[in-house]
Amino acid sequence: MYGYQIIKELERRSQGYFKFKEGTLYPALHRLEKAGLILGKWQLLTNGRPRRYYHITAKGRSKLAVERLQWQDFLKAMDLIFQPAGY
Amino acid sequence: MTTALSHYLEVIRDNLRIDLPEESEVISELETHIEDRLQELKEAGISEEEATKTCLGLLGSAKVIARQIYEAHSQGSWQQALLASMPHLLFGILFALNWWHHISWLSVVLILVIGTAIYGWWHGKPTWVFPWLGYSLIPVAVVGLLLPHLPKGWTLLTIPLYFALALWWLFCIVVQTTRRDWLFSSLMLLPMPIIIGWFLTVAPDGRLTETSLQRVYYFAPWIGLSFLILALTIAAFIRLRQRWLRIALLIISGLLTLTMVAYYAGGRLSLSTFVGLILVMWGLFLIPPLLERWLRRGGGRLKRRRSYRPPVQMAN
Repeated sequence: MYGYQIIKELERRSQGYFKFKEGTLYPALHRLEKAGLILGKWQLLTNGRPRRYYHITAKGRSKLAVERLQWQDFLKAMDLIFQPAGY
Repeated sequence: MTTALSHYLEVIRDNLRIDLPEESEVISELETHIEDRLQELKEAGISEEEATKTCLGLLGSAKVIARQIYEAHSQGSWQQALLASMPHLLFGILFALNWWHHISWLSVVLILVIGTAIYGWWHGKPTWVFPWLGYSLIPVAVVGLLLPHLPKGWTLLTIPLYFALALWWLFCIVVQTTRRDWLFSSLMLLPMPIIIGWFLTVAPDGRLTETSLQRVYYFAPWIGLSFLILALTIAAFIRLRQRWLRIALLIISGLLTLTMVAYYAGGRLSLSTFVGLILVMWGLFLIPPLLERWLRRGGGRLKRRRSYRPPVQMAN
């Protein structure tokens, strides 16, 4: 995926909830790339324009699995807290 | 692309202060993003002017983006930190072990310093090269120290010429470094007031005599210690991400090391000399940013090579 595509996808999947300053996505992508979690590669499009596509790395996948697990635990805990008393 | 969007990208470029290949990749990526967004807005029937305005609003502050990208790229590895602090370490060891008077060791260190500085200068001026570059000015200083030992007439004749050439050389290097990032000029020149401080401690009249060499023997451990502090400062500088922290680190470390020099000099540095050195130290942090502003404004608009294109492959 490329930067613009990621923004559109985030917006679509969150049903418009996630709307942030688009320029700030790139520092985040560069930080992830520096940490070896994603890899950016330039590709030349048929119209002659270069575009940078990002792919998740093996390190990124394992990090994502850990983060996802933590997030699910957090959500579970929040659900328990917000349950009405007596349940 | 409209003038407003080109200006937006120019502001980002001016504030990025990262290596040239990385800078070009960042700008190309943002350019593609802007083109994608503009195309979408125009397809929705929005005028070019309105599309530009919307696009700029959606992107966010150019300076904030540049700062965040700088922070993503600025942190060097531990290897780079070691490489950058190496010249300070080498000189620190030379003095700490009192090997500074062995011509062989001194020559090896100087050749290493000059060789590494030339190599780094012609290979994209990476961050680690700037401390080496500062030490490569030592031969110029040594020539200046030898001038008072020439026959009287020659000294008077050569000193004005030497100062003009040495200052011109220093100015050229500082300008080139400031074009990369003014903070690197400060980093490069940081040891200067400290070295001047030690020199004035051992040779108050500006001439290296037998007595001053004996004083170097006496002060060598403290001279070594000040170089080791500089080495630690540079290593921390390379590892830090935030620009303001880097600036604060250089200022605090520079002033503390200079105070340490005055303390161990044991009254050999007068108060006025110490104040003069403090002013030189402040000059290191005030002149480079002012020079950068001047270079950006006038005929000296920053002329970094911008012909680099990102490495691309055909999309499937």
